[in-house]
Amino acid sequence: MDFSFTEEQELFRKSVREFCEKKIAPKANEIDEKGEIPREVVEDMASFGILGITIPQEYGGSGADFITAAIATEEIARADISMATAVYYLVEAGWGFLMDRYGSKKAKEELLPDVTKGKTFLGIASTEAAGGSDVAAISTTMTKEGEKLVVNGSKTFISGVREATKYGGGYVTVVKTSQELAHKGLSLCYLPVKDIPGITTNIFKQMGREGISTGAIIIKNVEIPSHYLIGDWNKGFYYAMEGFNCARPLVAAACIGAAGKALEAGIEYLKERQAFGSPLAKFEGIQFQVAEAYAKLESARLLVYKAAWMLDQMYTKKRFRHKEINKAVASAKLIAPTVAFDIIKDVLIWHGAYGYTKEAGLEKGLRGVASYIMGAEGAQNIMKLIIGRELLGKEFAPY
Amino acid sequence: MDIIVCIKQIYDLGQIKVDTASKSPITEGVARKISDFDKNALEEAVRIREKHGGTVSALIGGTKEAAKEALAMGADEAVIYSADTDSLGTATILAEIIHKMKYDLILCGEASIDEFSFQIGPRLAQAIGIPVLTYARKIELNDGEIVVERGLENRYELTKAELPALVTVTKEINEPRIPTLLQILGASKKKITEISPPKPEAGIETLSITAIEMNRKEIILKDTEELAKVILSASK
Repeated sequence: MDFSFTEEQELFRKSVREFCEKKIAPKANEIDEKGEIPREVVEDMASFGILGITIPQEYGGSGADFITAAIATEEIARADISMATAVYYLVEAGWGFLMDRYGSKKAKEELLPDVTKGKTFLGIASTEAAGGSDVAAISTTMTKEGEKLVVNGSKTFISGVREATKYGGGYVTVVKTSQELAHKGLSLCYLPVKDIPGITTNIFKQMGREGISTGAIIIKNVEIPSHYLIGDWNKGFYYAMEGFNCARPLVAAACIGAAGKALEAGIEYLKERQAFGSPLAKFEGIQFQVAEAYAKLESARLLVYKAAWMLDQMYTKKRFRHKEINKAVASAKLIAPTVAFDIIKDVLIWHGAYGYTKEAGLEKGLRGVASYIMGAEGAQNIMKLIIGRELLGKEFAPY
Repeated sequence: MDIIVCIKQIYDLGQIKVDTASKSPITEGVARKISDFDKNALEEAVRIREKHGGTVSALIGGTKEAAKEALAMGADEAVIYSADTDSLGTATILAEIIHKMKYDLILCGEASIDEFSFQIGPRLAQAIGIPVLTYARKIELNDGEIVVERGLENRYELTKAELPALVTVTKEINEPRIPTLLQILGASKKKITEISPPKPEAGIETLSITAIEMNRKEIILKDTEELAKVILSASK
């Protein structure tokens, strides 16, 4: 067993960190305050080759594996702990990979180069007003009408709606294609949203990660070409679950990136800040918290990179069954956001009243990480259900 | 245009802490990096090659990690040598390595940011007997000549020399690229040679490095009037 990264991965981390410190970190406060990632940051990420990083080179990506993608996620979230920039990046990395795997050649040639160039946004549209966790109950429909596909329904709590409607882009969208079937009646399609007749959107005001928008998409008789079908008809549930398995380790990586940066800042502060004649770091009660934070962060980090490594092993060496991947990914996604939230909260408290200010730069991390406790890319209880199902067997699944 | 770039790997100074008792720097566990101005030299070499063609060879006083970074930034090959010696010794080693290589231009950083001796470039040019143009903030090449704009303390100086020549560059000359993933992966296919040249006799031996102690004066002022007096006297 070898826990070390390869020389190339280490060098890549160094490169991404340098890039992020120069291009993202100086804009982190602006991203949170203005509620938008400046276009030059998106363009810089594209020039640096990290947008759609898992997408193959023929479409302008880097064909990165998931360990590499997770390294970049962690570093981006360190630079912008509000998580907004990391979310923009990781949604494309996770779902771009799926789009490449199952999308039609024509759709990939048409759509993916603009994603990797940073011109358009690629996201995931799964959740509906009735709920996000119960994917099988999705009611947005897609029907075949001649050479076209017609989509009707609505999606909500979707990341990047403003970006995709303003600059161009669309969504890997989960739709019902056979009413009589439950999850086996779902398909995936690519749904463009900019200047498309029948598409209207709403943007939500959220408590955190405001730099990337979240909103709803109302879809009324939207016609899309047949090559926008992703994979086979009625196989969408399995593709979607695979896509979530690709995106979730990256979500978890973003959480540990933000928490890691906060912990570093916290440790520096504890060494400097004096109270009752000595640095805060000398108080045993504080040291115990630091130690616990570190141990929890390292545990979450191991889960993140184990899940990413297993995905890479599955895709390149056909190792591990989906059952094993499901458990590893769900464990990382279950633990990392909670650990990250707790660490950032503790660091914020160590800073006292200063921690409660915007200037300390910590509260935006707490607000951002919270989104992944609430449920983005899969609710925490769903992660528990996945782990429970894989441990106990399908016959014990409650739903 | 065949270009040789001399690169030194140093400790990341921003990460170095000082031992409170001995005042010695603690280097254990500190990351290493390519010295900043050497990165500028490498970037300039790659830009010249992109414009005029040719090759870029990086001579690395450091580890494989630095060699891989240099290759990812665009060098075509890297030669790693060990040089635990002073500036004269390092220049002697470099001259011996370069003697066996083909080159039109040698680029160095103006100085390494750990020692700031500013000696390697001039000493190396002297050792191999070619012109040296220091503190370059702009380089142009035409018909076997190099034109260099030198950034001096209170002026810019335009100079030219015939090739081959050695040029030391300043930070102003460019912004070094940050290698992308594809460049990093591509670098793994490039050649790295490791050599162990004999260590020249050291002319200067560093006996110790001690941090300068900066004690706070801890002056307590009674009021703003007193503060104003202190500021006024300091500004005189």
